[in-house]
Amino acid sequence: MDKEETPQITRRTTRSLASATALNPDNVAETTRVINPDPPTINDLVFGGEPISLDDLISKFPGRSSQILEIVHLLGPLNSPMLPLFVYGGASTGKTSIVLQILRHLNRPFVYSSCVTCYNPRILFESILNQLLLHRKNAENGYSNAKRCERPSDFVNFLREALTNVINNFKRNLEKLNSSELAGQGTGNMIYLVFDNVQLVRAWDKSSTIVPFLFNLYDLLKLPEVGLIFISNTSPDTFYSNMGYVEPIPVYFPDYKEDDLRQIFMRNQPNRKLYSSFLDVVLRPFCRITRQMDELSTAFKPLFEKYCEPLNDLEVVPNEDMKRRLFSHFQPHISSSLNEIFKIPSLTYSEVNDNKDTKRKGNPKNLGLIELDFHMSTCAKYLLVSAFLASRNPATLDASLFDSRGGSDNRKCKRKASEKAREKKETAEQELLMKGPGTFPLERLLAIFQCITSVAEDYIDEEEERNCGLGLQEEDGGLMSDVLLQLSSLCNASFIIKGASCPLEGSTRYRSTVSEDLALKVARSIKFPLSKYLYR
Amino acid sequence: MGRENHKLKAVNLIRSKICDPKSVLKLESDSPDCNYSKLKFMITSSITEACNNSILLLGPRGSGKIVVLEIVLGDLLEEYPDMISVIRLSGLLHCDDNCAFKEIARQLCMEHQLVFSKMASFDDNSQFMIAMLKECGLAHKTIIFVLDEFDLFTQGKQRLLYSLLDAMQSVTSQAVVIGVSCRLDADQLLEKRVRSRFSHRKLLFLPPSFENSQRLLEHILSLPTDLSLPNEYVDEFNRKLKTMVADKRFKDIINKYLNYDSTVNHLLRFMFCAVSHMDLENGFLSLKNFETAFSSIQRHPKLDCIKNCSVLELYILVCLKRLEVKEQTPCNFNSVMKEYQNMSGQTSDKYGRNVCLRAFEHLLQRELICFTDSRGHSYSVEYRQVKLLISAAELQQGLKAHHSCPVTLHKRMDHEG
Repeated sequence: MDKEETPQITRRTTRSLASATALNPDNVAETTRVINPDPPTINDLVFGGEPISLDDLISKFPGRSSQILEIVHLLGPLNSPMLPLFVYGGASTGKTSIVLQILRHLNRPFVYSSCVTCYNPRILFESILNQLLLHRKNAENGYSNAKRCERPSDFVNFLREALTNVINNFKRNLEKLNSSELAGQGTGNMIYLVFDNVQLVRAWDKSSTIVPFLFNLYDLLKLPEVGLIFISNTSPDTFYSNMGYVEPIPVYFPDYKEDDLRQIFMRNQPNRKLYSSFLDVVLRPFCRITRQMDELSTAFKPLFEKYCEPLNDLEVVPNEDMKRRLFSHFQPHISSSLNEIFKIPSLTYSEVNDNKDTKRKGNPKNLGLIELDFHMSTCAKYLLVSAFLASRNPATLDASLFDSRGGSDNRKCKRKASEKAREKKETAEQELLMKGPGTFPLERLLAIFQCITSVAEDYIDEEEERNCGLGLQEEDGGLMSDVLLQLSSLCNASFIIKGASCPLEGSTRYRSTVSEDLALKVARSIKFPLSKYLYR
Repeated sequence: MGRENHKLKAVNLIRSKICDPKSVLKLESDSPDCNYSKLKFMITSSITEACNNSILLLGPRGSGKIVVLEIVLGDLLEEYPDMISVIRLSGLLHCDDNCAFKEIARQLCMEHQLVFSKMASFDDNSQFMIAMLKECGLAHKTIIFVLDEFDLFTQGKQRLLYSLLDAMQSVTSQAVVIGVSCRLDADQLLEKRVRSRFSHRKLLFLPPSFENSQRLLEHILSLPTDLSLPNEYVDEFNRKLKTMVADKRFKDIINKYLNYDSTVNHLLRFMFCAVSHMDLENGFLSLKNFETAFSSIQRHPKLDCIKNCSVLELYILVCLKRLEVKEQTPCNFNSVMKEYQNMSGQTSDKYGRNVCLRAFEHLLQRELICFTDSRGHSYSVEYRQVKLLISAAELQQGLKAHHSCPVTLHKRMDHEG
């Protein structure tokens, strides 16, 4: 079994793999068929490929045997009707892949649709109907859907029609099987509709008719041959509305325990002993932060490489002495990586390494040493910085910060104020800061913009910086039109948000949405001393 | 192989009885004052006397209103095959008037082998319906309109209800409108002009008493003798079932379950769970099946959620709780972070801001906390205000049940409120 089969990865690929194998059941290698595939048959609704045994299934998902058995029991033997199921549990606990693999194990036909990809009712309805009607979008039909339906009422009519059709087909096949040979391994006449990520449906409509509609679908269809399976991240109690429905039967997936996680990580490891000693070191501290499989696996991958660094031979079986040596080499990395756990390394490994080293020096101002990874004009950068300042600093401080005499003198003036009053003011400002970026009118933004561009030039002159690439003109007229243009493009990129107009002043107010890190980064790229101007 | 086969057959049989309880409930409904006979009498009289009628079936969700109605309609369709046509609408699907008329027209066309035009306008459809009502009245044919989720039809201008009930005022038409609703005040939702045309017949569906539920349970779970199953197996099965049902522990479980909600559907759901846990090796139902079914159905989702949390997430929950006690209730991530830094100062569970933010997002995902404002998408997560969705008692209980909750957290939870 390769890496693809571990739960967290199969999750998203199962269905596409399924259709890939199911569409060409006889020969995948035959390339001519791919261009002109067989017309889909009713058998494509089953998972396809080799059905797996129950023992394989249970060993494939460590720590999930009770849930697997529960679902298998609830699905029941061949041709037995079923009440709707509601499978729920936290993220990356193997809900989707287990349900799909069980359907593969039982060799039952099903229709899978995820409410992530089908992001509104119409797409959801049409995707289900497409699958049921064996309709495939391609260039010939102009990538159109089999049926066009937007309303639940149309959907129920179409669905009932399609389902009865499919079920009758199954029954006919079953009869044929009965007459020819003993019907032992047939697919039965049940068909299952799997709805994944149902929790997203709650956000679809404000009038909230779709949730009760889906949960009442079983009663509306009145077809005993249809089994409904809902998969959700959140528990059934988060779905209550004043509409009400008969609750489906819940199946609960708890998060993985530490032992289960160990078993999952130990799968597919070439050097089990070495990895197990690695897990002894890292698993416990990381489990205090998160027990989500996907996050842990991304965090562990670079760590294991680091753990193996002193080793020349990865095949080696570690003894106690070596474990101790590895541990002492590795220990300093653990605490720092605990705080890096959720970072997804987009850079190459060595670069990440460098960044970590600089960060560990403990200087928070070095955080953004990475270059900006997108291009922006200098004017836009200044505008972004001034918007950040306007959002961050209280308007009352503008005068003291941007006075022509410069910031440092004012700081001294302020110190003279009574200590108590200052402290009081400071806590008030702190609270304001915690509430998030404030709004500001356009005039204030432009004033700050003018100030900092002039200050920046002074600053650069004083410091005798050579590469001052400021292409700004001092003439006001040219500047203004350009600035307004830049402002609107920043608004479009939602770096700055145009808020509702202030009821008293009647002018539009803006708010900056950039984080401090990004603002510092931008400021550094234009060599503007932003931290001097931040009120803390 | 043969033995295995009939056990499977038995399970399938019971499961299909549960999923389609019509046949069982029909046996139950022979007493003269039950809803079945009342409803049947009402509809039969309006068919035979060629008059109009309107009835409301009210009762909590899952109390078997639709099932009883379906049984009655099934019987009537057998008794008067050519005199009835049934139109079924559901408030969930057709609460919009336009859509409802279209669906009525479609079903009428299907019933009478006419061609249905998708392009027909609202007026066309409503006129078609009235014309059909007249025609059917002349032919002494009753149209029965079943309006499921009746309360949803009262949203908006109630044009459908008005034109239906208004058409029934004339002598020529012959129709029965049956509204089914979970809202006991459904008739109060009607507009005045509609209410005055409505004959206030109501049938109330109550959840069955404990004795009745138990009888129903026995009915559904016992195997019939007349089928192809071997006789000795059926006898054994039914005998074991009887002794189990008489057991006090069994009664306790059922009682505990029904205390929560005693409607028929709720009971069926429980039986379904128990039957699917039946051991196919020996092929008999046991008390243990019902116990496992009870524990898997009756869960405390919030408590489960807290048990799933990592230690860091627990810290954040306790922080939020403490902020709530301090009455800094509209709090956001920043204030939580401040509290967290105060609290975790001496412990080993001190993590960076990014990590905490991610844990905070996990809590949002688990729906243990939520944003207080529904819009505010312009703000980033750190600044949006949040509130706890669990009570202090629940959190306390969750901390106790958590397998690796640090002791300091218990202390922090108790002290300072």
